[in-house]
Amino acid sequence: MIVAENLTRVYTMGKVEVRALGGVSLEVARGEFVGITGASGSGKSTLLHILGLLDRPTFGRVTIDGIDVLALSDRQRTLFRLNRLGYVFQDYALIGELTAIENVYLTSLVRGASKEDYLERSAEILRRVGLGDRMDHRQSELSGGEQQRVAIARALVNNPSILLADEPCANLDSQTSRSILDLFARLNEELDQTIVMVSHEDWHKEYFCRVVTLRDGLIEEMTECGRGPHPGGEA
Amino acid sequence: MTAVFAALRVSAFLAWKSIHRGSKGTLALTIMIIALVFVNLVFLPSIISGVVETFNAQSIDFNLGNLVIEPREGSQYIGNATDLQQTVERIPGIVGTSARITAGVTYFYRGRNAASTLYGITPEDERSVTKIADYMTEGEFLSNGDTDAIVMGATLAGVEGEEAGGLPSLRGVGVGDSVEVAYPNGETRTYRVKGIFKTQSFGVDTAAFVTSREMNEVLGLQDQASVILVKTEVNGREEEYKMELLSYGIQEEIRTFQEKAGGFVDQAIQSFNIINAISTLVSLIIAVVVVFIVIFINTVNRRRQIGILKAIGIDQQIIINSYVLQVLFITAVGALVGMALNAGLTTYLTAYPLVFPGGPVYPVVEAPAVLRSIASLFAVSVVAGYIPAWQIVREDILSAIRG
Repeated sequence: MIVAENLTRVYTMGKVEVRALGGVSLEVARGEFVGITGASGSGKSTLLHILGLLDRPTFGRVTIDGIDVLALSDRQRTLFRLNRLGYVFQDYALIGELTAIENVYLTSLVRGASKEDYLERSAEILRRVGLGDRMDHRQSELSGGEQQRVAIARALVNNPSILLADEPCANLDSQTSRSILDLFARLNEELDQTIVMVSHEDWHKEYFCRVVTLRDGLIEEMTECGRGPHPGGEA
Repeated sequence: MTAVFAALRVSAFLAWKSIHRGSKGTLALTIMIIALVFVNLVFLPSIISGVVETFNAQSIDFNLGNLVIEPREGSQYIGNATDLQQTVERIPGIVGTSARITAGVTYFYRGRNAASTLYGITPEDERSVTKIADYMTEGEFLSNGDTDAIVMGATLAGVEGEEAGGLPSLRGVGVGDSVEVAYPNGETRTYRVKGIFKTQSFGVDTAAFVTSREMNEVLGLQDQASVILVKTEVNGREEEYKMELLSYGIQEEIRTFQEKAGGFVDQAIQSFNIINAISTLVSLIIAVVVVFIVIFINTVNRRRQIGILKAIGIDQQIIINSYVLQVLFITAVGALVGMALNAGLTTYLTAYPLVFPGGPVYPVVEAPAVLRSIASLFAVSVVAGYIPAWQIVREDILSAIRG
């Protein structure tokens, strides 16, 4: 469970202070699929960065599964990201020198998994995201949708308690975007995966259990969607 | 599997992928620079060692033997030289002695003249101490009974029409020619040139030898010697043998060949060592700069990748270590290539040695110098690789990812 309290993030650009978040409080329950929406500059990505331990708020408090993550040292935060979080970036953020399967099993190597285990697990996840025949391809040999699937597989390989996705469909066509969202929905339903996803597309809302809309760094609206099983399939 | 091993495994994995799938041209160029730095680190010390070895070998084999017995203070000659030789030769570890009479003479040949040294020797004794007899380029060495014969160094004999660069030269003496010698006591003798030798030791190649029997007669000496050269069984233990000779009650001055050289080589080696230290320092600075630039450019170009690695939970020490391992790989391959280049250079210079005034100098590559070079190269490379990687890795994740 994620509990964010009064998150404030102020950037200083020369003499100008920019308030990206102005005191956001939010709870995400285990197994929820929460969408964070809002206009450009509303603070969506900043909020996700803080929840993903990639950034620190100027004020506020974040606990994940009861752990005050802002009190952790840099090394502990790194370990937390490795073991508890999966992060999907807007622009895939793959390591170009590695093949699809190498990108996926890299974090399993850090966790000390045996070769047999990490190869089997990575291959299984890549098959699940539909890349069973593209495992040995490098980033430059994959389409945008395939790269995003590799990034999702990488985020899932260590069974994270929370999957955070920052506009994962921003660079994809609508058909590929829908397949990615279908995948998220399946993960959420079948594996009870907690997902927090940033999006600025209205039609994505049909996939979310709850939509948090930000405006100027504050929560403008919080809507329960009451999504039924696998809504993407119905679309 | 321990966390440390797992971390090392990831560092090695990232390092290898970067090397394997990175720019081959940059990698080859970096390895080549490290190899050349290594050659530079090893080459000069090998030449200095070669100079020392050449000097020692030339001194022992052609000039002085291992030990030199000189007249007591105030005396010009050693008396009862034969008795002294017999006494010395009985000492265990002594393989031969040669009594020499030394005279500064003037040689005349076809209207040309040259002032240099003439030695009176007992040829068989001389053969037991020096190797001059083995280095005849023309004719033969002296025999004990020769009285009207002379053997001459190649520089002194000279070549028709060629100057010897300030060294004494008769410019074209050949075997069978007659040479007139003016002794310091005013006596003049004409000798037939029996042989010409070439040792490449300029002090020897500008001198000539007649038998002691002949020189005793000319100078009116009897069983006397200017010096007695002593050859020992083993080189490098001259001090021990000197003590041994002294323990036998020999009253004459005994000096090792190093002492006899009077610190000339020590001064030369000191100067060489200063040059070597400067060269080593410059080489290591080049290695530091090259490795630093390569890793710095590498890490700057991969800022985004480093940010991604940190974002997905890779510890920054793992990332730093991956760059250090790349540096270790580059340095190891560079050192191996450097060793191969050095082996080629050493082989070439052994076949075509550098010519120094003391004789031909062959590079002597000593294991401690090689190990020292490898260790220093690794040390500076690791530091030069660590610092830029550490600097970039400290950057916050989002700035790094945004590039």
